[in-house]
Amino acid sequence: MTFGKRCLAGLVTGAALSVTLAPAAGADPDEAFAEQLHGYGIYGQKDFNAWIGKIMCKRLRNGHDPDAFTTANFVHGQLQKGSTTDQAWQFVGAAIPIYCPDQLPVLQRAAEQGNQN
Amino acid sequence: MRHKRFTAALGSAIAAATLVLAPAAGADATDEYPIPSRILKTTCTVDQYMAAVRDTDPVYYERYMIDYKNKAPGVQQATRDRIYWFWAMDYAGRRAYSEETATNAFYEQLAWNWPNWAKLFFNNKGVTAHGTDVCMNYPPADAGVWTW
Repeated sequence: MTFGKRCLAGLVTGAALSVTLAPAAGADPDEAFAEQLHGYGIYGQKDFNAWIGKIMCKRLRNGHDPDAFTTANFVHGQLQKGSTTDQAWQFVGAAIPIYCPDQLPVLQRAAEQGNQN
Repeated sequence: MRHKRFTAALGSAIAAATLVLAPAAGADATDEYPIPSRILKTTCTVDQYMAAVRDTDPVYYERYMIDYKNKAPGVQQATRDRIYWFWAMDYAGRRAYSEETATNAFYEQLAWNWPNWAKLFFNNKGVTAHGTDVCMNYPPADAGVWTW
């Protein structure tokens, strides 16, 4: 999967910012996630996208997906036909701070790897 | 006029009687119902199919596994035994099983313990199509598909 280095670097920064600006406890994370996705032109059912975000985190946590590249590939397969690789990465960058902030280093590693290549 | 009304009433009565006496709609199995043909014909193993669906229809798989984990260990074991037993049959055997479940509500005993026990395998044509399209690319034996 190819992707823009700048896009990924931007994602990491954006993800860190999202954690800082995370909505107060009690706000609906699925709603916040859906809104962010809309900003990227990713639509589809709110519940479905939330499921994918959570499953994506589970696959990272249990090691099924070893890195963010595999994760983005998995997500890309679930987005509507015609979605771009950048959108898949944007999805990952938005989902991690909301559903599994503990996985932020995975994004960081991918950005570093992208810079080396 | 009175004659006409009588004829009309007679017609309605006959039609109603016919409806009552009509044989039950045919409930025979087809190659797609209740078990989709992709499952009747696939040469993949259970583990291969489940691993494939985990990737192709992750939400469907996740929900099935949540349901599965909420069942008693005995029901979980029975589910695994039953699906491996089904999968061990050839096309003719699977088709015959499909026929039995379509025509006899009491045939599948496991369904009394867990009505959706085979949901991942039998209930959704789209899911079975996506899974059987790529299942051959996964390891034939992978117990991890049941401990997700």
